[in-house]
Amino acid sequence: MIVRYESWGAWVKLESTAAVVAVDREAVRALGLDGGPVWSAVSTVSTPIEVHLAVTARCGAGCKGCYLDARPDGIEPERETLESSLDALRDAGVFTVAFGGGEPTSRDDIAELADAARTRGLTPVLTTSGLGLSDARMARLRGFEQINVSYDGPSDVYSDVRGFDGAAAAERAIEKLASLGVRVGVNVVLTRQSFPHLAQTLARARELGACEGQLLRYKPAGRAASMDYLASRMTSEQRRDFAPTLRGLSGLLCAEGTFSLRIDCALAPLLSTDAEIMSEPSRLSLFGVFGCEAGASLAAVTVDGRVAPCSFAPPTSLRAVDLPGGYATDGELKAWRTYLDAPPEPCASCAIRGVCKGGCKIVSRFVSGAHGPDPECPRVESYRAGVA
Amino acid sequence: MSESSDITKEQVLQVRLGHGANCSSIGSVVDTLFATATVGAAIFAAIVAALASEPIRVVRPERPREPKGEPES
Repeated sequence: MIVRYESWGAWVKLESTAAVVAVDREAVRALGLDGGPVWSAVSTVSTPIEVHLAVTARCGAGCKGCYLDARPDGIEPERETLESSLDALRDAGVFTVAFGGGEPTSRDDIAELADAARTRGLTPVLTTSGLGLSDARMARLRGFEQINVSYDGPSDVYSDVRGFDGAAAAERAIEKLASLGVRVGVNVVLTRQSFPHLAQTLARARELGACEGQLLRYKPAGRAASMDYLASRMTSEQRRDFAPTLRGLSGLLCAEGTFSLRIDCALAPLLSTDAEIMSEPSRLSLFGVFGCEAGASLAAVTVDGRVAPCSFAPPTSLRAVDLPGGYATDGELKAWRTYLDAPPEPCASCAIRGVCKGGCKIVSRFVSGAHGPDPECPRVESYRAGVA
Repeated sequence: MSESSDITKEQVLQVRLGHGANCSSIGSVVDTLFATATVGAAIFAAIVAALASEPIRVVRPERPREPKGEPES
């Protein structure tokens, strides 16, 4: 296991079990270790445990809501540049690096980059559309710990979300990668069109060999930062129905222990409609649910080698190679972390604010023009309607 | 590494299961959140057992540019 000291104890990345665990100082001492300078330091700002690394801005899929605005002629960093970024992530104590883009499998050296990450003690994972992936190319991806295939649903649902039908290619990739022994998940973008089909989509993915369904909130970034966002995002009713739907899907799909459900950070505020969670919010933290961790436990590195709070946020001026020393002090990143210092209502009185952290700031910036309570959070909607 | 670990479940503050592989936003497993108390206890027991048995390597991000020696054990 890998131990990374924190002011409160340590993050521990286990090897025998796929898990990252936070333990207190007593547990660290029980391991025969001591946090030393980290435990006595004044600053409590830590480096990320997960970084999303854009290895290309090149992609021919043309998804209408691409958050990166990737194009067939997008820029692509040299491998040496990416390896320098990986050096910096290793030095920063990062555990997981998620390769994305653009379409990362369009790089001929993507397998070598996975090896480069592993050599540095990082766990490499990957997101792909599956489009144009030959059997031979898929076989070269076995160095990744997990690969998620973008799969928003059967063909008509997929088309609604992305503007073209790539469902067959995605299904083929899921099935083939699973048959190669790769741990495969699916990324399902939730829009008003895809949400009603979620159970069918996840059941199909599981049938094809996927072991995890990652649910993603649609976000107004890149090509999705347009008026079309307002017509594509989940409806208010769907957002209120999300938590009970999740509970139902969990019972339906996960009981055998062979399939897991994940939600992304931006979906955390939608859990505020779940009475059980709101009455025992510590369970969210105990089971490691993350809300907005932009500029905190999560960071992104753009194709031009700059650090961003998350993949959807504008990059800062901090270069990836300077992340280990500059992450805690960068002013732009700090602005993303400090929301919780004095959150306005209704976040201030919310039981899950410590996890949710105000919801998705990409959404609040787009819809409201500033970092503020997530305007699509059901609790925020009720508050603003005067019924909270 | 210590000769024996006596970490308790109470000292485990958070458990983030799985690796996830999304490249755009950070994900969290939630089916465990809805599982029974028995399942939750089993997860924490397995985590404590793993903490007690795995070899240890310490990373030190606070001194990133210094040459590193052998991993601590």
